[in-house]
Amino acid sequence: MAILTVENLRVRFKTPFGAVYALRGIDFELAKGQTLGLVGETGCGKSVTGRSIMRLLDDNAQVTHGRIIFEDKDLLQVDDGEMRRIRGNRIAMIFQDPSAALNPLFTIGQQINDVLRAHASNTREGRQSQIVELLASVGLPDPAQMADVYPHQLSGGQQQRAMIAQSLAAQPDVIIADEPTTALDVTIQAQILDLLRTLQRERAISVILITHDLGIVAETCQHVVVLYAGRVVETGSVAAIFADPQHPYTQGLLAALPRPGSRGADLTVIPGSVPSGLERIAGCAFAPRCEHVMDRCRGHQPALAEIGSAHQSACFLHEASGDG
Amino acid sequence: MVFLSFLLRRLGLSVFVLVGVLILTFIVSRVIPSNPAALYAGARPRPEQVAEIEKKLGLDKPLIEQFRVYLADLLDGDLGESYHSRRSINTDLSIFLPATLELVIAAVVIALVLGIPIGALAGAYPRSPFDYATRFVAIAGVSLPSFWLALIAQSIFFSQLGWLPLGSRISRDATLFYPIAAQTGFYLIDAAVSGNWEAWFDALHHLILPALVLSAYPLGVTIRMTQASMLEALSETYIMAARAAGLSRPVILFKLALKNAIMPALTVVGLSFAYSITGAFLVEVIFSWPGLGKYVTEAVLNVDFPVIIAVTLVVTVFYIGVNLLVDLIQALLDPRVRLV
Repeated sequence: MAILTVENLRVRFKTPFGAVYALRGIDFELAKGQTLGLVGETGCGKSVTGRSIMRLLDDNAQVTHGRIIFEDKDLLQVDDGEMRRIRGNRIAMIFQDPSAALNPLFTIGQQINDVLRAHASNTREGRQSQIVELLASVGLPDPAQMADVYPHQLSGGQQQRAMIAQSLAAQPDVIIADEPTTALDVTIQAQILDLLRTLQRERAISVILITHDLGIVAETCQHVVVLYAGRVVETGSVAAIFADPQHPYTQGLLAALPRPGSRGADLTVIPGSVPSGLERIAGCAFAPRCEHVMDRCRGHQPALAEIGSAHQSACFLHEASGDG
Repeated sequence: MVFLSFLLRRLGLSVFVLVGVLILTFIVSRVIPSNPAALYAGARPRPEQVAEIEKKLGLDKPLIEQFRVYLADLLDGDLGESYHSRRSINTDLSIFLPATLELVIAAVVIALVLGIPIGALAGAYPRSPFDYATRFVAIAGVSLPSFWLALIAQSIFFSQLGWLPLGSRISRDATLFYPIAAQTGFYLIDAAVSGNWEAWFDALHHLILPALVLSAYPLGVTIRMTQASMLEALSETYIMAARAAGLSRPVILFKLALKNAIMPALTVVGLSFAYSITGAFLVEVIFSWPGLGKYVTEAVLNVDFPVIIAVTLVVTVFYIGVNLLVDLIQALLDPRVRLV
């Protein structure tokens, strides 16, 4: 059962250099209780996808096409007041850099209190005890004291825990976590991911985890959507994709991961770089970097095609191998 | 505890600044070629008269000794006496300083009460007609000279409309029929304390025009600074996070963003506040406002050094005080400032 469905989402940005096509038709489903990994390089449209769902794109961005269905409602159509009640309350968001995402002039407690006041009717005392509970649930020591602490008095990991507590305040059904561990130390990273996993299981929250780190996806997610230049190139269960990647881009990404035992050897890289969103891409966006490129790749865009149970890839190679 | 030590450190720094200004003004006043004793003696003094006065005023002693005497008097709270009128500067200041402060404070209150909300709204709705209109007002306020504004204001509100008086602090009728019992020297305070509402309204009536004219500069600065820092605060990630948490627009704008935006604005506003006290001198002359401006202008024309030094000191203390106040407000608003 999908709780959130994104259909053919297209977003473009107006820039002084012309229109930038950030999303060029994206489809995916987030199942209830699932953790979905949204993976790709910088500029592939991961964050834009998250922001589009929240309707928090910058003013120069325009959703030109598509639907975002959340509980029978198209989020792109609901009015601003309803969208505000959905944000934080039904769909919450966690950001990359917690030191920037927390307001420096308000205590952790005050910031959670604002969220509670915006979405839940409760007394001041009720909110106070809720804040302490929330801070305890994300594993912060001394939760009662933590409420009166300012963000700069916390470590990066603690800040992210506080941020997570804030996102949980109104008991959302979906959390969009945009690179939640990128700004943190590796050891802290593992703790935060662990916390997210636990909370997701206990509270049956559905999570969209936006990341460029396939290692994190393997540890945390059940399902993966691989983005390249604003399109989904491959999607499937974590097991299927890690065991048997079909799209040349996914194969390249996995090959680029350092592996135990490969110490001293050069890391594999995908040659070339991501196309700028300024160009209109006629065929497959990955064609210029692909080692299996064929003539038709340059003129035609391959569609996502079923290649296994719960495993889809957008590449002409599959057709070729399927046909003969 | 952190707060207290912050306060003490800032106070300590202020004393340094004050002593520095004191030494500098004293030296400048003695180095400038002029003969205070001759001035003191009046028109066409005989040389022996001048010598006698020099001895009386201690001007024949070495500079260090003169400074020591001056400092000793100052520590007793004695600012000395005017060479020109021979009146005690303390007495003069107790009359003129409150008049100027009342004017400056009124101007700055106008600037803050109007400037912060206007600037915040302009920052919240960039590129809107309101934004452009406030830019125009702010730039006009900062760049139009106060004497010109004063004349225009007098021409409109006195000559044309007849709504407000031309100048002075209070009308003659009010001084005759409802005299204000002087306590602080601030008419609005003294009149209110004694329940003398006729005089209070009369004083307010006289205050409006000069205060508005004087507020033009700090108002422009406040609007521009608040607008700019509001714009910056609104682009921060924590504002994005607040929107993602579903907080309402008024909460985001006027609680979360404005508190951050006020911080940089305050520093500049504080400076323009202190600047207004010298800006007031010109406005006072045009509005016949019996304040420091008229007092110090006369002193300068008469090379009346004790008065010039005293007023310089007062202005310095004011500058330091306002900056200290700004530091304190910032420390109250921002927990990170207290650590600096």
